[in-house]
Amino acid sequence: MSVIEAKNLTKVYNPDTVPVNALQGVDLTIEKGEFTAIVGPSGSGKTTLLNIIGGLDRPSDGVIRVDGEEIANLTDNQLIDFRQKKIGFVFQSYNLIPVLTVAENTEFVMLLQKRPKAERDKRVAELLESVGLSEKKNVRPSQLSGGQQQRVAVARALAPKPAFILADEPTANLDSASASNLLDIMEKLNREEGITFVFSTHDSRVIDRAKRVVTLVDGKIGTDVVQH
Amino acid sequence: MITKIAWRNVWRSKTRSAVVILAVAIGVWALSFVLSFSNGITYTYISNAIRDQLSHLQLHHPQFPEDKNSKFFLENTTEKLAQIQQMPEVEAVTARVIATGMVSSARTARGVQIVGVNPETEMKVTHFEKNIVEGEYFQADRKNQVLISQRVADKLKVKLRSRIVLTFQNLDGEITAAAFRVAGLFNTGNMLTDDVQVFVQAEDLKRNLLSLSAQPDSTAADLLQSQDISQEIAIFLKDAKTVSEVKSKLKSAFPETLVEDYWELSPDIELYETQINTSNTIVIVIFMLALIFGIINTMLMAVLERYKELGMLMAIGMNKGRIFSMIVLETMFLGSVAAPLGLGLGFLTVFLLQDVGIDLSAFARGLERFGISTTIFPVLDAGLYLRIAIAVFITTLLASLYPAKKAVKLQPVEALHKI
Repeated sequence: MSVIEAKNLTKVYNPDTVPVNALQGVDLTIEKGEFTAIVGPSGSGKTTLLNIIGGLDRPSDGVIRVDGEEIANLTDNQLIDFRQKKIGFVFQSYNLIPVLTVAENTEFVMLLQKRPKAERDKRVAELLESVGLSEKKNVRPSQLSGGQQQRVAVARALAPKPAFILADEPTANLDSASASNLLDIMEKLNREEGITFVFSTHDSRVIDRAKRVVTLVDGKIGTDVVQH
Repeated sequence: MITKIAWRNVWRSKTRSAVVILAVAIGVWALSFVLSFSNGITYTYISNAIRDQLSHLQLHHPQFPEDKNSKFFLENTTEKLAQIQQMPEVEAVTARVIATGMVSSARTARGVQIVGVNPETEMKVTHFEKNIVEGEYFQADRKNQVLISQRVADKLKVKLRSRIVLTFQNLDGEITAAAFRVAGLFNTGNMLTDDVQVFVQAEDLKRNLLSLSAQPDSTAADLLQSQDISQEIAIFLKDAKTVSEVKSKLKSAFPETLVEDYWELSPDIELYETQINTSNTIVIVIFMLALIFGIINTMLMAVLERYKELGMLMAIGMNKGRIFSMIVLETMFLGSVAAPLGLGLGFLTVFLLQDVGIDLSAFARGLERFGISTTIFPVLDAGLYLRIAIAVFITTLLASLYPAKKAVKLQPVEALHKI
């Protein structure tokens, strides 16, 4: 079963005034375990596609299935629940909760899901170990470097065991060493645990490491290349 | 977790939170002080009226309050006093002989109520002797002494030891007059009392009534002779809370007598208290309105500033109900820090001033006209503090609703665009 299945996705902004066709019939399927980058210049529809895949926006037409579930017609609150369970988000500017510690940030979504404390503690310990931040578990995000914060964001995204991780320009604010370190961790998680990653990026460091690169041009898929 | 985030969010912008907490605390402090002050006025007014004038309970002939005629008197006063004094709730009891009449000097005259008191027991009930500002309280060995207020003395143009004539109706309806010497001048602080009452010794009033009685064989005269009548019995209780209880005991002990508590004796007390309560409520509402807008402003700022973060929280799965609760909780935390602070300050202020009092004589001489002392002692009242705490709770809850609603209207996709 595909993790993401988009068929003939279209998105028109301002349909009644000055229509802007952000997506024009996009077909895209992403399978479990992929490490895919969606690339394209500004205005290509990359962000729109990412928003629709992430359940943050709805298509004007077409079908979008995530983990087998049609999400276009879900209500706002159903979508929030859906995102909580199925999608792990990693944002460009980390967006950790500044008043919570590293461990609390990692635990946050599991708390929303009311998972038992023992399970949460075990999972947090595992995740912080895998992103190399076990020693920082009790500090607040403001005391971490950008790279470390983004690793916490990855741990938070992975915590509820989502169907895939949606990473929007995750390395844009990072220096080379931090970006490389982050990508190493993501690659390892993908390779060893089969976690699906979907990136939206301009960053060649990400594109070079992606196993598949989908290029959007003017709201349509231009190229779809599998790299080795 | 929501509670933890909300609490920590309060302290994210320390200066802003501190400013709003301080503003609310100062508001609460001012409110608690103003209300304690107005409570103090009410309490002073009522307790002065009870202490100086009304006592907690009074016994009369059922027709006396309407006519104020001396012929409506209570019999067997001595026996009644003894019986009442034995009640455990009673601190002091005294009997008064009352006649309505006129006081005249060589220069002028005015209508007054002549109150004949037992000097010793009257001191225990009304502490009247403390109101003497010139001259002396009654001397046991002197007859026909009268105490008049400074105001009446000024109006009659008489001084201490001047002779004045009291004219009144005896029990048989005859007009009678007797000369009295001014032994002391008093000032009760209540112009209404000062203007209309003069005090003599009960025995003098009774003797004068008796000596001038036209009908020596009448029942009224006989009773006077036995010196066992009075027009009023005033009772001061150890604890004002026992008024109703003692009242019903007295009613069953003296079924032929009219027993009234201070509310019934002075309906203006109730009116006064109702008006003070109404004005207190208005002050609380005005305070709440000012507070609501202040808090809304702050919380709205906090929400708009965290637009991106709130969008992220929704993106990763925090539903609208939780976002709403978080904003409401943050607002409530502001209130729950500020309210105890303000109430504590208010408590401290009132605590420090409750014995010293606030002297308003420089600003409000007119208060005396209405029986209110010019020194106000603010009153600490747990009920009042509870009312303010509830008002702050309701205010912060109401103030949180708009910012919280604004927060849940947010679309996470807009937040992502801003990232």
